[in-house]
Amino acid sequence: MTEIRTPNTLTPPPPAGAAGIAEADTLVRVDNLVKHFEIRGGMLGVSTIGAVKAVDGVSLSVKRGEALGLVGESGCGKTTLGKVILRLLPATSGRVEMDGQVLFDIPAKGEKQRPAVYAGKEAMKKVRQNMQVVFQDPYASLNPRMSVGELVGEGPLVHGMTDKKEREALVRDMLSRVGLNQSHIHRYPHEFSGGQRQRIGIARALALHPDFIVCDEPVSALDVSIQSQVLNLLNDLQAEMGLTYLFIAHNLAVVEHISDRVGVMYLGKLVELANVDDIYANPRHPYSVALLSAVPEPDPHRRKKRIILKGDIPSPANPPSGCRFHTRCWLREQLGRPERCATEEPELRDLGAGQQSACHFAEEISSAAVESAVTTSAPVPTSTI
Amino acid sequence: MTQTRGDKEALLEVTDLRTHFATADGLVKAVDGVSLRIRPGKTLGVVGESGCGKSITALSIMRLIERPGRIVSGTIKFDGQDLINLPDDEMRDLRGNQISMIFQEPMTSLNPVYTCGDQIAETVARHSNVSRKAAMDRAVDMLSQVGIPDPKRRATEHPHQLSGGMRQRVMIAMALSTNPELLIADEPTTALDVTIQAQILELMKALRERNGMAIMLITHDLGVVAEMSDDVSVMYAGKVVEASDVITVFDKAHHPYSRGLLASIPRMGHRQERLEVINGVVPNPLNLPSGCLFKRRCPYAMPICDTKPPLREITPGHVSRCWLAPDGGKPELGEAPSAAEAEAAANTLTVANP
Repeated sequence: MTEIRTPNTLTPPPPAGAAGIAEADTLVRVDNLVKHFEIRGGMLGVSTIGAVKAVDGVSLSVKRGEALGLVGESGCGKTTLGKVILRLLPATSGRVEMDGQVLFDIPAKGEKQRPAVYAGKEAMKKVRQNMQVVFQDPYASLNPRMSVGELVGEGPLVHGMTDKKEREALVRDMLSRVGLNQSHIHRYPHEFSGGQRQRIGIARALALHPDFIVCDEPVSALDVSIQSQVLNLLNDLQAEMGLTYLFIAHNLAVVEHISDRVGVMYLGKLVELANVDDIYANPRHPYSVALLSAVPEPDPHRRKKRIILKGDIPSPANPPSGCRFHTRCWLREQLGRPERCATEEPELRDLGAGQQSACHFAEEISSAAVESAVTTSAPVPTSTI
Repeated sequence: MTQTRGDKEALLEVTDLRTHFATADGLVKAVDGVSLRIRPGKTLGVVGESGCGKSITALSIMRLIERPGRIVSGTIKFDGQDLINLPDDEMRDLRGNQISMIFQEPMTSLNPVYTCGDQIAETVARHSNVSRKAAMDRAVDMLSQVGIPDPKRRATEHPHQLSGGMRQRVMIAMALSTNPELLIADEPTTALDVTIQAQILELMKALRERNGMAIMLITHDLGVVAEMSDDVSVMYAGKVVEASDVITVFDKAHHPYSRGLLASIPRMGHRQERLEVINGVVPNPLNLPSGCLFKRRCPYAMPICDTKPPLREITPGHVSRCWLAPDGGKPELGEAPSAAEAEAAANTLTVANP
């Protein structure tokens, strides 16, 4: 790929029909982002025989100071989306803008021919100070040969903080902010527990004073009692430092706790996006409804009936036609399997009050519809034992 | 089969089980005085965080502890037999027959070079005197019962050809092929997505109802426990710290650790500004505190906590390993009892026989 260095002022306006006019308080804008992983095959293993469509046309914007939660099951593309936004993975097509700076703008296949635009090396280096990431696995994401001081201080060093004393003061400040002892600065990752390691990862992300942090499953590897400590820390830091989060997780209760708005992904598509209270109280996509009903609640008085989806998640290399959820959709069954679901891909559309859903029949979702889906889908196998 | 037994009678009764591991760094008391009882046809949820000994307890019951681990003491009574002293060949007959087990990671617990059908048929053939063909028919039948579509074809497939949820169904089919009285499920849905978890939980409920089997469900997910269990035992650092029926544990938890766990999880539909936390971390098993193992993290820690608290009855059927009075208040002891006084108090308090 050739890098075309474009000064910030020369970046083209967002393609028409995308998420609309940029609002003043938008920090990160993602337009029609696509990431396909090619599947190599053939006799020499060099020809492309298909593609895993990990992210397939996602548009969203993250407002300054908010926490946008992203939920979905494994393989739905939520982690890939986070990495592509940060340019840790090259996008196939689409456009990402961060605080006014276009990181890349790559035309989609079939779109009018225009050159792909990438932010240059210098511009990228500057942007990277402003966007950081906290990974899921606190064991794999810290270099075991580097001390805590080196790990947390590496970013500032790369970005020109060459004075050792200054850097050490910064690292100590970061350690105390994340609730670690300043004297831990010379220790190595193996000397810490999982929760403490995740704190080191957070301190590392904070060291450059970024505005935007992608948290990719930051608490799912932690034990329950440690998880709440880290969630509280993330909340406190957001308030203290005015951070903006893209919070990726599969645990719906955790996402509800931390997010202002929530996006639900299924097979590379964003199927619903709404304010956290709206989406949890009143989901408007049949997949979100099923996902929320599937979560077991820690309350033995409320053993709820749930919507059981049939079958497994289809392969993202070969997603179903039309609406990707139509093969497992309970609402489609209720409506007598309308053809439209299998032929026409639904757009994410506005349902009012900032709630967006990518379902042709979102208006048909009612508590009565959900109720009958719950009672008809008991998968009790036939008895022969 | 189990209907005639009284509700009070336990199908499985573990008393004061101790399983220790002699590691190069020292003796790890992974399970150190665990007592559990599982009623016939009922589900016991065993909750705790990683390293609390819940999986080792299960493996001890199955007598699958390998060196350097060793069951040091205790009794495991299943249906009146003492499993610890059962000869190896009798244990083999029982294992996978009357007691079956399913594991967290279905990929590593299935043999990759045999078909799913072969693996289930092997279990069937091992425990009953049937022909190869009958065993295979039984395998296909089991696959259909756990809700696998096209079971005939699936029986001829290898584990790698199935998704995670399907593999867990194959594990369940294998575990249930011998009609066990007790199923030990060690984190059966932890590796699965939430919609697939819902499928597997519904399946386990349906099969439990039909076969009348008891389940020992090991998990760290309090939602799964609330959903599935009749009784709950909470474990911490190798010990049971609280046990009762599920409603009591969730509504009237007594032990500060159970209370902390329940308060610290975010709950859907109950947004709160801050989550309650349990301070600190689980103690290092090589360097456990004296007295109560939870005292360093406990908001109610008192001088008496330097003396090991007994597992005692709070209300009938509800036991807790904590010095706090049954109503959760301070115990009726002096402010700073001497070690001797504490010891005496420990002896006078009812030590429950769970």
